[in-house]
Amino acid sequence: MARNRLLVIGLDCASPRLLFHEYSGLLPNLERLRAGGWWGEVESCVPPITVPAWMVMFTGKEPGELGMYGFRNRIPGTYNDTRVADSTSLQVPPLWARAAGAGLRSCLIGVPPSYPPYEVNGDMISCFLTPGTDRPYTYPRGLAVELEEQELAYVPDVAFRKENKAEILASLREMTAGHFEIACYLAEEHPWDLFVMVEIGLDRVQHAFWRYQDPAHHLYESGTPFDDALRDYYRLLDQGIGELLEAAGPDTAVAVVSDHGAKGMKGAFCVNQWLAEKGYLALQGEVKPGTRLEDAPVDWPRTKAWGWGGYYARVFLNVEGREPEGVIRPERFEAEVEALAEEIRKIRGPQGEVWDTRAVTPREVYSHTEGDVPDLMVFFDDLSWRAAGTMGHPSMYLEENDTGPDDAVHDWRGVGIIYHPEVDMGKRIDRDFIPIQDLYGIFVELLGIGD
Amino acid sequence: MKKKEQESKFTSVSIPTPLFEKIKKRIEGTGFTSVSSYVVYVLREVLAEDAVDEKEAFSREDEERVKERLRSLGYLD
Repeated sequence: MARNRLLVIGLDCASPRLLFHEYSGLLPNLERLRAGGWWGEVESCVPPITVPAWMVMFTGKEPGELGMYGFRNRIPGTYNDTRVADSTSLQVPPLWARAAGAGLRSCLIGVPPSYPPYEVNGDMISCFLTPGTDRPYTYPRGLAVELEEQELAYVPDVAFRKENKAEILASLREMTAGHFEIACYLAEEHPWDLFVMVEIGLDRVQHAFWRYQDPAHHLYESGTPFDDALRDYYRLLDQGIGELLEAAGPDTAVAVVSDHGAKGMKGAFCVNQWLAEKGYLALQGEVKPGTRLEDAPVDWPRTKAWGWGGYYARVFLNVEGREPEGVIRPERFEAEVEALAEEIRKIRGPQGEVWDTRAVTPREVYSHTEGDVPDLMVFFDDLSWRAAGTMGHPSMYLEENDTGPDDAVHDWRGVGIIYHPEVDMGKRIDRDFIPIQDLYGIFVELLGIGD
Repeated sequence: MKKKEQESKFTSVSIPTPLFEKIKKRIEGTGFTSVSSYVVYVLREVLAEDAVDEKEAFSREDEERVKERLRSLGYLD
C-alpha cells in the first residue's frame, strides 16, 4: 500500500451496539466512513482496560509483554504499595517511534498513558493522567504556550462524582468539544503523517449515564433530563469527527477504534470479603463497612491470598520468599492457585444464579510476562460484575460501585472502522472482528512503513 | 465547536544580522522552514520552562491526587 497520512480517532469505551445499531442514522460522518471502508468489532485484550489496551493497539504487544495489567503496579516486596502506570512504564516502542524511524511526524493527543509527555518526532499532548495543566503537559513544552496563545484550553479529564449529573454532563460535553477544537487546530496548522487522538469523555459519559438508555439495567430510569444524554453525546462526537476529517483533508486514511466496549453493570462483588470468609485472608478483628485493604488489620502470616478491585480483580498469593510475610511454599504455588481459581469459578450471584466467571493465570493468556504480574485475573460474570476491594459490607454483593456511581462496566468487544481514500478496506480486511493487537499491523500498513 | 476564525497576528522583533545568519545555517535540514518559525519555537520553549524534577513522573502529591481520581473513576478499589 502506498504511503499515506493516517488519522486514528480513538473513542474510549465505544459500544458497537450504540454506535453501529442504536444510533444508526444519527451519526452521518461515522456512517460515511463505514460505507467506504471496513467496520466491525475490535476484540480487546486481557484485561480490557484503558491501560493497557491502547498501548496493546499501538505497540502490537500483549499486556504481559508490556508489563501493564491495569492502572497500577505493585512495588516489589510490598503488599499494597503501588505506582500508577504512566508513560515511563512503557518500555516498548510505540507506533509513533516506528513512524519516526521512517522519517514521519506524529501528532498525539491524549493517548493513555502519555503523562509525563515524552519526546516524539512531532507533537504530544498528555492524557487524562495529567495532574494539572500547570505542569508540563506537552511535547515540545512550547506547544502549551502556543495553545494558550490560540486560547485553546486543554482539559485532561472531568471530575466524576455522584452529585449533580447535569453539571457532569455539561463539563464532559465542553471538554470533548475543546479536545476536537485543539485536534482540528493541530491537524490544520502542524505538519503530521500520523495523527492520533483518544477521547476519554465517552468512557466517562457512559459510566455516568448508561442506565438511562438501557431498560435491562437494574437502575434503569426514564423520563429524566438524561434520557438522551448518551445519544446526544455520540452526536457531539460525530460532529467533532466530521470537523477533524475536514481538517485532516480528503487524502487521509482514517481509523475509528475503541480500546474496549461497554455494557450495563450488574453490581460489585467484594472479593476481599469473600477471600476472608473462605479463610484465605485473615483479619485481626472487625472492619468498618467500606474499609480498604490497606487500612484493614490484615494478619499477613495467616493470609494466603488477597485481591485488588476495579473492573476486574487481581488476586495475589502470599508466597514465601516473594512477599514480606509469605506463607505459601513456592512448590505449593501452582496447586494453590488452581484450587483458588476453581473456587472462584464456583461463585454464584446474589440470587444463587450461575455466573460466567473467568479466573485465569497470566501464563494461560500471555506468551511472556514482565513487571508486577498478578497471580490470578478474575472477570466476574463475564465482566458484568466489577470487583470491589473494600471490606466490611453487610453483603458481598453491592448494587453500586462502592467508590462512586458507575452504571457501566467494560465489555470485551469495542468498535472499529477502517477507511482508506483509494482502497476498499471492506474487501481488503476479510474478517468480522479484529483483535486489538492486530490493529498495529494494519496501522503500519496504512502508513506504508512496513518492511 | 465552530472552528475559531484564525486571524494570524504577527509583529516584528529585531535580531542582529549575524545571529540571523547563524540561525539560518543552524536550521538547514531540520524541518524548520524559516528563521522566524525557529525563533518562535525556541521562545515558546523558553517561556514554558519551569523547574520540574524530570526524574520522577509524579511527585508524591500528584500521584496521590491521580490515584484518588482513578479510584473515583472505578479503576481502583
